[in-house]
Amino acid sequence: MTLLDSPALAQARGTGTTPVRLIRAEIMKVRSTNTWWLFLLGIVVFTALALWSNGVSHHYELYPQLNTMSGAGKAQALAGAARARTHAGLAKIASNMMTSGQFVGVLFAMVIGILVITNEFAHRTAAVTFLITPHRAVVVMAKLAAAACFGALFWLASTIINLGVTPIYLHSQHASVSLTSWIVIRSVSLNLVAFVIWAVCGLGLGAVIRSQIGSVLAGLAIYLVGFAAVELIFHLIYNVYRHAWVLGAPVIAPAVASLVMITPGRAFAHAPPQWAGLVVLAGYALVFAVIGTAVTCRRDVA
Amino acid sequence: MVALLAVVVLGGLVWLLRRQSGSDVPGRADEAPPQLPDRPFGGRQISEAQLPAGQIVVSGLTKQYNSVRAVDNLSFVVEPGRVTGFLGPNGAGKTTTLRMLLDLVTPTAGRATIGGVRYADLDQPIRCVGGILEASAAHQGRTGRNHLRIICRSAGIPLARADEVLQLVGLTAAGNRKVKGYSLGMLQRLGVAAALIGDPQVLILDEPANGLDPEGIRWMRDLLKAMAARGRTILVSSHLLSEVELLADDLIIIAAGQLVAQGSVASVLQSMAHGSRILVRTPDVAKLMAALDGDAVATPAGNGDVYISGADAVAIGDAAQRAGIAIHQLITERPDLEGVFLELTRGRAAIR
Repeated sequence: MTLLDSPALAQARGTGTTPVRLIRAEIMKVRSTNTWWLFLLGIVVFTALALWSNGVSHHYELYPQLNTMSGAGKAQALAGAARARTHAGLAKIASNMMTSGQFVGVLFAMVIGILVITNEFAHRTAAVTFLITPHRAVVVMAKLAAAACFGALFWLASTIINLGVTPIYLHSQHASVSLTSWIVIRSVSLNLVAFVIWAVCGLGLGAVIRSQIGSVLAGLAIYLVGFAAVELIFHLIYNVYRHAWVLGAPVIAPAVASLVMITPGRAFAHAPPQWAGLVVLAGYALVFAVIGTAVTCRRDVA
Repeated sequence: MVALLAVVVLGGLVWLLRRQSGSDVPGRADEAPPQLPDRPFGGRQISEAQLPAGQIVVSGLTKQYNSVRAVDNLSFVVEPGRVTGFLGPNGAGKTTTLRMLLDLVTPTAGRATIGGVRYADLDQPIRCVGGILEASAAHQGRTGRNHLRIICRSAGIPLARADEVLQLVGLTAAGNRKVKGYSLGMLQRLGVAAALIGDPQVLILDEPANGLDPEGIRWMRDLLKAMAARGRTILVSSHLLSEVELLADDLIIIAAGQLVAQGSVASVLQSMAHGSRILVRTPDVAKLMAALDGDAVATPAGNGDVYISGADAVAIGDAAQRAGIAIHQLITERPDLEGVFLELTRGRAAIR
């Protein structure tokens, strides 16, 4: 028994404030398993695929294959190319290239948020965690911060790749547009916000639906299926109640709000401005975080 | 404007975090003298200083799940310096009680305190109380060492402590292996290591002997006894009665959520209707009984043997010699824990 002489414990000074060390512990939890780098790998792959597909489609936008087109199509393509070559058009292409893969990448941020909390229940470590810190609200806050950090990390990985490829691509297409233009910077930073917010939403979702598969499926449904469903519903409403704002109203769905937020200009016809998407999404993050915290504090840990 | 909003959202989060931490750890900065293991609670602020440190007091604890009253007005005291066995049939409410004690489950009514303080109100709880509730409570894809280091990090204890407790439980060689490769016995040891990280005054263990091999069971028993000998409070639930009989100084027996018996092992065993009795085989029972004092009572035990209570083996042997009676067999039978347990919980062990 060496219980009585612990050099390590003798040094323990209760170092650091609780939130900081809890956030570091939560980051350590994610870092000590494989998930995070597998996700990082997924982000890299999706970014590469999206860069390739965006690159090809923008190339044909700028340089339409006129010889394969009929008269009407030709005129339309030429008009499109002319629009793409304006300053605003090129900036839009640049921002699209700079945010390649991030529509899907956001999903990884959401799922890591879900895993940060559901892992505690799936692997039955919640009891250990709450024994160390009985004030569960602080634990959830630390988890929110850690999930946000990993969301930001995923964004960073994707953005670095885009930043490496985009200038070369734009140069090869003879498109002279500065990556420091406000439109591009705004798109890139709004994507960071999206990654962070979806990580937070994922955590809140995971706190409410403790089943790992259940919450991941719910998250995917909200992000992917919810999109189409909400669009459809509001189109049906519009058919009865013909006001233009009905077509912009789908922004109340989180996935649509996210798209509205990250899309330069208008995401779809009658879409509200980008800031509206940001406000709606931030509201969702707040609601998810508050509900997740409340649920975690109240539920028994069986 | 967008950047401004982001700053506002993040700032709000940081503010919330700081506020939360401020409210639960008043005066953290100036406290924390290194804890001397033999000074319970390391001299931390326990306002009820006159209370024995590490004494567990459960009073009127009740937990109602929909239609089932899992724990029903349960009260008991666990003293420091002793190993207390917490027994009950399956579903008696043992685990629920321990979880309420550790603030993992909210009681419907009643109160549980450790050293006079509710678990949730302890400052740095794992420096005071170590709890093991489930052997498999570790992420399968994480190494045992990292599991312990995360606990150290959360509790503000130097990470080197993880290696110390690994050595203490004999897991050093497996420390860098992933938990999914651990046997149940290794998981139990990992759980003990986790509970010992804060060198706590109080240890609360739920079925720690599950899955341990004989060597592991003996190791666990020696560890817990050694800790109790150093003045620690050890509360251990189990359904391995023979193991508890070897290990425990005190017993708490519950059934159907209610207290059935509490006290030292000897007093619980003696509380039964029959104390110890002597199985005697002799050709002349009547003559032997006549030779004994009036207190002795004989009851037939079949095969012509008798159980004699009210006299011990020495008295019976002496009496037989005085009366010149042959004795073929003289066996002292003490009530064992299993018999007492089954009798105490009879009819109350049904699945509720």
